[in-house]
Amino acid sequence: MPWSLLPRHLLARPVRSLLTLGSLAIAVFLVCFLRGVVVALGAGVEAASDQRLVVQSAVSLFVNLPRSYQPKIKAVPGVRQVCKLQWFGGYYRDPSNFFAQFAVDELLLFDAYPELVLLDGDKTAFWGQKTACLIGRDLARDFGWKVGDTVPLVGGIFSRSGQNVWNFEVAGIYESRTANFDSRTMFFHYDYLADSLESGAATGPEGVGVYILKTERGSDPTRIMAAVDALFENGPQRVQTTTESEFQKQFVTMLGSIPTLLSAIGGGVLFAILLAALNTMLMAARERTRTLGILKALGFSDRSAFGLLLGESLVLCGLGGALGLLLFMALAPGFNQVLSQFNFPALVVGPQTFALALGIALSVGLIAGLAPAIRAARLEAIEALNAER
Amino acid sequence: MARIPLDYNLRSLFVRRSSTLLTLVGIGATVAVLAGVLSLQRGFAKLFESGGRTDVAVFLRPGATNEGDSLFRRGQADYLIKGLPEIACSDSGRPLASSEYYLALRLRKLDGGETNVPIRGVQPMSFEVHRDVFELLEGRLPVAGSDEVVVGRSLTTRIQGAGLGQVLTLNTTPFRVVGVFTSSGPFASEVWGDSERIADALERPFLNRVVARLVPGTDMAALAARLEDDKIAPVKALTERQYLTGQTEVLSGVLLALGSFLAVVMGTAAVFTGTNTMLSAISARSHEIGILLAIGFRPWPVFFAFMLEAALLGLLGGLFGVALVLPLDGIKTGTTNFQTFTEVAFAFQVTPDVLGTAIFFALVLGLLGGAWPAWRASRMRPVEALRLS
Repeated sequence: MPWSLLPRHLLARPVRSLLTLGSLAIAVFLVCFLRGVVVALGAGVEAASDQRLVVQSAVSLFVNLPRSYQPKIKAVPGVRQVCKLQWFGGYYRDPSNFFAQFAVDELLLFDAYPELVLLDGDKTAFWGQKTACLIGRDLARDFGWKVGDTVPLVGGIFSRSGQNVWNFEVAGIYESRTANFDSRTMFFHYDYLADSLESGAATGPEGVGVYILKTERGSDPTRIMAAVDALFENGPQRVQTTTESEFQKQFVTMLGSIPTLLSAIGGGVLFAILLAALNTMLMAARERTRTLGILKALGFSDRSAFGLLLGESLVLCGLGGALGLLLFMALAPGFNQVLSQFNFPALVVGPQTFALALGIALSVGLIAGLAPAIRAARLEAIEALNAER
Repeated sequence: MARIPLDYNLRSLFVRRSSTLLTLVGIGATVAVLAGVLSLQRGFAKLFESGGRTDVAVFLRPGATNEGDSLFRRGQADYLIKGLPEIACSDSGRPLASSEYYLALRLRKLDGGETNVPIRGVQPMSFEVHRDVFELLEGRLPVAGSDEVVVGRSLTTRIQGAGLGQVLTLNTTPFRVVGVFTSSGPFASEVWGDSERIADALERPFLNRVVARLVPGTDMAALAARLEDDKIAPVKALTERQYLTGQTEVLSGVLLALGSFLAVVMGTAAVFTGTNTMLSAISARSHEIGILLAIGFRPWPVFFAFMLEAALLGLLGGLFGVALVLPLDGIKTGTTNFQTFTEVAFAFQVTPDVLGTAIFFALVLGLLGGAWPAWRASRMRPVEALRLS
């Protein structure tokens, strides 16, 4: 088989080949992007630890639990550690500079979240000073904060008398090793918040947003969850204990039909591009009629003709897919930087992305090339040579 | 300069109907995605813009960006309501103002799972303040000081215990549903009841915001500036319209950004395929073009003829895409507004301006795709064009 004809055919109409390549690259890029968004939305659920349970109010996401619950929960058999986690909801200068801040039991934080690794500063400095805080690597990057800096935050939920400014001293910069916690969060002492509320220096809801439980190895989480829920069945605040993945999942569920819509858009993109590729291949096949006639007259088999056309389609679409994948990989870090400012989880670029991109490209190539290839195989040499074009 | 009859282009499109059809569907799919995202954004914007009045003021705690974060003590709220000359009075001489309690409640859906439903604790005067957007459909209003609520109509078929006459349990206290209301504003899927009873049931003894009707001609900016600098109790004041616009800024912006991003990327791909189709249309017709030029048509009419054909292709594709999107009109979808953590249900709004934008976009795609091939066709030399094939 004269396979050298394949590249020649592709180059015979360079503009058309390039345009097809381009549209395929764009399609693959877009599908990878949309898929990356959908996967990233669920990443927190995937990476959740099965050693951690979350106790939250059964009434509302925004209702706090009494502080007196902590020792009662700790006494439940199978619970190793209970750490307070309170959403602070402040912002730096302007509400658009939003990032998550949590007031925590500073001594228990690294036990509760072993995936947090300090890049700079040290734990004892964080533990030693009441106004100390830890900030994520991305926060340090975006706002230029260093260890030793004072970060003034405006209280969104907790209002401080006077100018409503809370000052935090950066004692360390952390990085998260898993996807369930981002590197754009700030942690500080729960006591700083609680003491400010108690002394009247600040106003806001008292209590604790959620308790993070670390279970003992080998204990039965279902039993622990039921035991904790039963403790407060009759108030004052009913609780709902879930696994960390269930806890994360509730935020994904809140997105409603958005992931479905994104997938539908991806489907629409694929469909449009499939038609375009099919169009190109049909045009190409029509132009090849004479060439194929000559090949057949020279004695090349029907199967060769079939392979030549299908190969052309596969090579074109495969190259387009590879280009789209490269484009996506090149642009992903940029996207992530923008998305992280909206506290959006990073797009995932991994083996699945490669498989997805090449899978799409080759499937499109196969489907688009099939009809012209079958036509080529069935072509009679004499007819093809007679064809007017 | 003689014009080439339009009939020539129409017939050409028809002769190459399989290729024309594939291009049409390709452009159509692109346009459909753009129009779909745009109509989603329109539906979302409409949900909120209709409720915002400029003569209703919203008062929040300084620093708060939404009512969920805001917090008032009862005394503080009463001080504000009684002390402001800008607040309009009812016929009986009482200020048209009320303090409101607000919380996103975790309630069970009828089809399983949980969702966040906003509950609004109101006072008798609240119904007066919101009279333009609140309409009772069935039953009666809750009696002040009783454990009774009215619910938005959409909740009755979605939430367990939200039907007329049924019982909704808030934390541990049962509340009877005594009425169903509808609202053209953002209150459509809320639960309303007595603010003190709700605050007691939820064990959160404070209020979230104050709303008031203003005396006609009040200068809102001046009022806001004065209250912000109040020495005793600084307050953030804004019109209801400003407040609602602020609440939807992020989600609305995300939808618009997503729509534009998809439109640009998919549009590029569509231009590529459009160019491809026009190129092949021209190369198949070089002979005809040669004849046209040989019998004395000038290059410009040839260029215009092909541009016209391309525009026609884009227009037809646009119409097809619009036809694909039209059935979406009115379909309900839902997501969560992460600024307030409440579920928002909204419908696709395929408005005339969305359709106009979509068709204009399709036309531009067609023209961009046709420009280069048309220019090439007009620059052919008659002898060469005739010699081809």
